[in-house]
Amino acid sequence: MLKREFWQQFDYLLFGGVLILCIFGIAMIQSAIAGNEEIAISVSRQVIFVVGGFVVLFLTSLIDYRYLSSLTRIMYIFSVVILMGIYVIGTAVYGSARWFDTGVILIQPSELVKTIMIVILADYFYKTQDQDKNLNWIFKSFLITAFVVLWIFIQPNLSMSIVIFVIWFALLWYAGLPFKYLLIFAAVGIVLGLIGFNILEDYQQNRILNFLFPDPNARYGETFNVDQAKISIGSGGLLGMGYGQGSQVQLRFLKVRHTDFIFSAMAHEFGFIGTIFIMSILVFVIYRCFRVGQKASDMFGQLIAYGVGTLLFFQMAVNIGVNLNVIPVTGLTLPFISYGGSSLASLLLGIGFVESVSAHRHRE
Amino acid sequence: MNQSILDQFRVHKWRVIVFFIVMTAVLSFYVYRLFSLQVIEGAAFLDQANENRIREISESTQRGIIYDRNGFVLARNIASYNVVITPAFLPDVDTYNPNGDMQRIYRELSALIDIPVTTGNIDDEEAIKNFTPCYNDFGLKEIVYIGDTNAPFSPVQVKCDIDPETAMVIREKKSDWPGVDIEIVAVRDYPTGELTSEVIGFLGPIPASQVDYYEDLGFVANRDKVGYAGVEQYLDENLLGTNGKRVVEVDGAGQLIRDLEVPITAVPGNNIKLTIDTRLQAAAKTALLANMQRYNLLKGVEKYNVGAVIAMNPKTGEILALVSYPTFENNRLARIIPAYYYNQLQLDPRKPLFNHAISAEHPPGSVFKLAPAVGILNENVVRPETTVFDPGKITILEQFSPNDPGRQRDYVCYTYKDTGAGHGTVDFIRGVALSCDVYFYKVGGGYGDEVPVGLNIWRIGEYSKALGYGEITGIELPGEMKGLIPDPTWKRINVGENWSTGDTYIATMGQGYVLSTPIQVLVSFATIANDGIMMKPTLVKEILDAEGNVIQPFTPIQIRDITKDPVIQVYDENFRTTGELKTVEPWVIEKTQEALREVVVDGTSTLIFEGETVPSAGKTGTAEYCDNIAQEKNICFPGSWPAHAWYVGYAPYDDPEIAVVVFVYDGDEGAVLSGPVVRDILETYFALKAVDQGLGINQ
Repeated sequence: MLKREFWQQFDYLLFGGVLILCIFGIAMIQSAIAGNEEIAISVSRQVIFVVGGFVVLFLTSLIDYRYLSSLTRIMYIFSVVILMGIYVIGTAVYGSARWFDTGVILIQPSELVKTIMIVILADYFYKTQDQDKNLNWIFKSFLITAFVVLWIFIQPNLSMSIVIFVIWFALLWYAGLPFKYLLIFAAVGIVLGLIGFNILEDYQQNRILNFLFPDPNARYGETFNVDQAKISIGSGGLLGMGYGQGSQVQLRFLKVRHTDFIFSAMAHEFGFIGTIFIMSILVFVIYRCFRVGQKASDMFGQLIAYGVGTLLFFQMAVNIGVNLNVIPVTGLTLPFISYGGSSLASLLLGIGFVESVSAHRHRE
Repeated sequence: MNQSILDQFRVHKWRVIVFFIVMTAVLSFYVYRLFSLQVIEGAAFLDQANENRIREISESTQRGIIYDRNGFVLARNIASYNVVITPAFLPDVDTYNPNGDMQRIYRELSALIDIPVTTGNIDDEEAIKNFTPCYNDFGLKEIVYIGDTNAPFSPVQVKCDIDPETAMVIREKKSDWPGVDIEIVAVRDYPTGELTSEVIGFLGPIPASQVDYYEDLGFVANRDKVGYAGVEQYLDENLLGTNGKRVVEVDGAGQLIRDLEVPITAVPGNNIKLTIDTRLQAAAKTALLANMQRYNLLKGVEKYNVGAVIAMNPKTGEILALVSYPTFENNRLARIIPAYYYNQLQLDPRKPLFNHAISAEHPPGSVFKLAPAVGILNENVVRPETTVFDPGKITILEQFSPNDPGRQRDYVCYTYKDTGAGHGTVDFIRGVALSCDVYFYKVGGGYGDEVPVGLNIWRIGEYSKALGYGEITGIELPGEMKGLIPDPTWKRINVGENWSTGDTYIATMGQGYVLSTPIQVLVSFATIANDGIMMKPTLVKEILDAEGNVIQPFTPIQIRDITKDPVIQVYDENFRTTGELKTVEPWVIEKTQEALREVVVDGTSTLIFEGETVPSAGKTGTAEYCDNIAQEKNICFPGSWPAHAWYVGYAPYDDPEIAVVVFVYDGDEGAVLSGPVVRDILETYFALKAVDQGLGINQ
């Protein structure tokens, strides 16, 4: 049924890299549980998500990405509807409405929307390539993005809102954003940033302030997590404490170690060398995405692949930056490794799109 | 728009390259950062990680228990219950449900232990800095906030010393109230309190200056306590014990995982059995207070309010009772030393924190005559039967040097003031029995042809030092003083003046520069009573280990036998030392004992001891003084100075078992203020002895 080209053009290296990262992630989560009953179920769940995610990845890659171009309107409506839906039937966790509670698992629709937005925006920029790259062109794409982000922003979920704007900006850039507008954007961005800060929730403001100007008399609790992350990373040394042997992880000094701070757990147990190795695989996956984009038959495919690659890089950079204590704490996961079904599934969906671009390209 | 046209567009390669430049820059920075954290600073972070997980736990030992000679408990450790909260274990604060679990716990706990949920004074930085667990005005919320700031995983004391019933209630609620717990600590308790506080003392925190010393021994500042007074201080090393030590691994919640080293268990301190008989102590204190009170009532003013009593077995040196009045309530100092109470004690002019029995240096007055009495016989200044005439008043030439023309000065006997006459002709026995001042002036300083060569100040010094004056006795209490036995050299250095003939007369009767402590006075009499054998006064009967095995049985310590140990310098006719040493001849001591018995039979204390059941011997003392307090009160009139009341007695006089000294500050008359107290104590002692023998107690 499948054409020979599909199997020939499917990117096995990309697939393999992602698979290694996912399996490593499961192993790392296993270690990070460290006897905590409440999160003990994470491993089996993550296995299910990985298996399910790979099914999605494979099925997505079977579909010719060009069909997606005609489905973008439906995708867009779907996105807005599910985002609005969580205000009706959503569940609040940690004070923000981000989740659908299916009874078995919590689903975070914004994660899915993040990946879908790559396809929607790629389609917009693909279809408007012959137009003038003027403010009208930019503003239209901004509106498309902003209308979706609005629902995420008021959840409130600042980090995801930023991620989607980064995707928009990246695709805008690849699609040919003129340089003069970039400069104008930078200026406007700074001004909006300052204004924006004032309308942030208190806890978001505090996080940023706490990061920029650490209070020397800070109470123990406010800096505890990042301090412990730093100690965990540092004490890993060159070779690490060994899998399942890290005192910071196994004795639970490191908090949220199976999700946001899994990088610290990894650095603690595998050391500098192990961490560089895993980071290299991540970079390799990103590189493969860009390679697929470069070989894609059309700009639509290119933008999808570049978009997914940029998304992966951005999430990775933010997550590691948080762990290394160089940027403020946000809730972004380390791609493929952190525990989290929605995030993993949507990233694997993204890889599925890239594989589709790769497998369905015209032969040169 | 044509699909094929669109297909011609592609993403510009340079835009992708820009992305890769950004990515390379970010990742390079991360790799650099990772390298510096893990490789360059790795060792430091490893230390921090180990610091996280390794904790040294010092397990409190039990301080030794103090008993009296009959096994009655004088100091022990009792359990005290404190409510503690470990801030990290409290339920999380839920921003969207601020009235959640934490508030419920606060409310319920507050109702139980009577501490408000919040007092709202958390902004008071000064109050937070001075936060003392158990002793503050904060509410629960504030205490937890402070605890959370300092060490969230360490329990912070919320309320101390709650009653055991409430403690049980809170313990049962433990599962409902995560973070709340009951801490059991040992608190020192003194069942006899104020009755024995001058002997037992009290505990306090390790002083800042000695923190290093005690920490080296494994003690924990701000937790472990050390002795501050009494035997608690003097015998601290025996009582302390050794803390246990564990090196353990803990998890992030502060929970103990395992021992990393073999635990060292705590060794309890030794128990100490004192020589004190609490019953006699009570009798002694009561007798002293009752007698002072009696004369206060007669006078209509609170005049007599400082005194001391010591009772001792002269044959063994065992101190049976030691009273210093006023004293303090050591149970009030058991948990912490309350500033207001401590200040009150310090500002009290009667010095309750000062042990009057061993630390107060006062002129001994006539009780000091014992030393020259022994001296004049042993040096053959006069024979016992030699008589001296006391006209009531003598006039002597006061000279500061042999060539000093001098001036005439009157010296009177105490009878002269009232009767205008003296004791007439007195020999040694009568001289002592009547405490005849003129007799002692003449034999001490010499008087014309009657006593050609007196004992002289140098030899007074020798005999008084041989009897224990001028040196500490070594009793197991801190702060013992040496007193003062003056000599011409001392006077030249300290007063800047030559020794005068008058100084010798005055010193002979324990006045002038002579100073002594009540315990020294007692020891001098006990030595004579014990036929010249001086025993070290001791409070320690036995030292036992925690299981009750005797590790140091009672061993009386003989300081010297003045009839055998040559300790007295022999002087030539110019009062220069010859380098020879001599002893006191036994007949001299016998004669002195006889004289002391005569005091009771027909002397200054006859009236007081009339009808005594056990024959005793003793000596009265009325010592004039003019110290800074008397000067302030402006009561030092020449010829009529205020006086301390002394009496020393022992019984039975021929085979003494107990010697007692009573001292009443500003007590006017030794025979009146102190004598009756000694009689009461002697009689109680023999009554108790009879009771004990009836019960089959042999000690």
